[in-house]
Amino acid sequence: MKQGIQFFTSLRTTIWLLGLQISMLLAGAFIMPVNEAFQSIHAVPLIQWIREQPVSVTWWMWGSIGLLTVLTANTIFCSVQSVLKKRNVFQWLLIVSPQIIHLSFLFMLIAHFASATGGFEGVVVAREGTAVVLPNNASLQIKVITIITDSHGYMRDWAVDVGYLSKENMIKEERLMPNQPFFWEGFGVYVKDLQAFPEKVVFLEISREPGAVWALIGGATFMVGIVTLLLLKMKREEQP
Amino acid sequence: MWLSLAVFPCYLLSLWRRPFLYLGLSLQLTYLITRGLALERLPLVGPHDTLTFMAAAMIAFSLPFYAALKRHARFSNAVSLFGAALSIFALVSKQHNAPLPPVLKIIWFELHVVLAFLSYALFGIAAVLGCFLLKEKEKSFEMLQYKAILVGYCLFSLSVIFGGIWAYLAWGTYWLWTPKELWTTILWLFYSLYLHARLHQWWTGRPAVVLGIAGFGIVMFTYLGVSLLMKSSHAF
Repeated sequence: MKQGIQFFTSLRTTIWLLGLQISMLLAGAFIMPVNEAFQSIHAVPLIQWIREQPVSVTWWMWGSIGLLTVLTANTIFCSVQSVLKKRNVFQWLLIVSPQIIHLSFLFMLIAHFASATGGFEGVVVAREGTAVVLPNNASLQIKVITIITDSHGYMRDWAVDVGYLSKENMIKEERLMPNQPFFWEGFGVYVKDLQAFPEKVVFLEISREPGAVWALIGGATFMVGIVTLLLLKMKREEQP
Repeated sequence: MWLSLAVFPCYLLSLWRRPFLYLGLSLQLTYLITRGLALERLPLVGPHDTLTFMAAAMIAFSLPFYAALKRHARFSNAVSLFGAALSIFALVSKQHNAPLPPVLKIIWFELHVVLAFLSYALFGIAAVLGCFLLKEKEKSFEMLQYKAILVGYCLFSLSVIFGGIWAYLAWGTYWLWTPKELWTTILWLFYSLYLHARLHQWWTGRPAVVLGIAGFGIVMFTYLGVSLLMKSSHAF
């Protein structure tokens, strides 16, 4: 038990795990571009995709998941040990801020795990004036597609007016614009592409990204941790 | 364009007289600003713009380090040569003058790109400092290398976060598994490794310094190698 705790609280363990993780991903970085199987990696949740592919293609991903699991335990043990040690206030802040960064790393892992197991993505092509059926059996009416191009033919802006219907009742009307998707009941509707001629058509993606909130929390937590750490280190420099 | 042409000889002449470095940097920044105004967007699309930006960032970031190193001439010369090399590659690279697609016109995307290249510049400074540390064994270089990497790591991480926010709003997912994102993960983990390793007795000193140098190799492959050699949503 004591050896186990020592293993998980050891900085050497962290260094080894990071080194092995980098090596695993480097292997994958050379496998991925030359293997056609990866073209479908975003079509289904990641864990489902990994299970469906041959191990010869995904061994480095399974290895990475295993290493990340151990790294997660290492992060938690190290952080708890660091925080519990008694120090003066300034030293404690200097110790806590890296732990906030570690916490953000854990939030990111939760985010990726949630997305890898519970994500959904579907694509559909719709003409102006038609409707598409959503996964919850409600429908999305494509009312008006507006495409603005410049004199050279480059698309400068676009908008798609939609209406969300449930049991033939109009629940909500929305305008999809660049970086302004439509969110409803856990699903997001995104415009992937548009066509103006010969008829106005929109290429939609309907997706569910359960890890997004955790990723945002992780990102915000990381910003707090890293900025605090930088400020504290700068303050320590100024002290005689 | 003549502004951009004048930068390369200025950086080379700075090896002889330092004021040419400031002239070259001023010209390069003026070029970026005027190009941005002409294009009505941030001039950070494609290899020409990004190499120019990175060169300017490296030179600009080198100034406080130069002061901290008590005007170490060879450090300044090494960074000038780096800036000159990036600038000449920028000159021979194709310019992308098309307007930005609507989906790229958002602050999150702009911050993502700007912070990424600022961090790359700092990692480059750290690599230069590391090379001098291996040669001259000056302890002050090690602390400065650490500072460059720490701030670079902070900016790089923020770049990834802002990129994820933009991607979620634009494409419905904060992360994609393509070669660019995979190499980004490798890069982030590598500098995480550096920051942890230098705290361990076996890695303190020379081994950590070598990590700080090697990291820049990964930076350049992530930036140029992936964009030029691999199919990715981040390809030039």
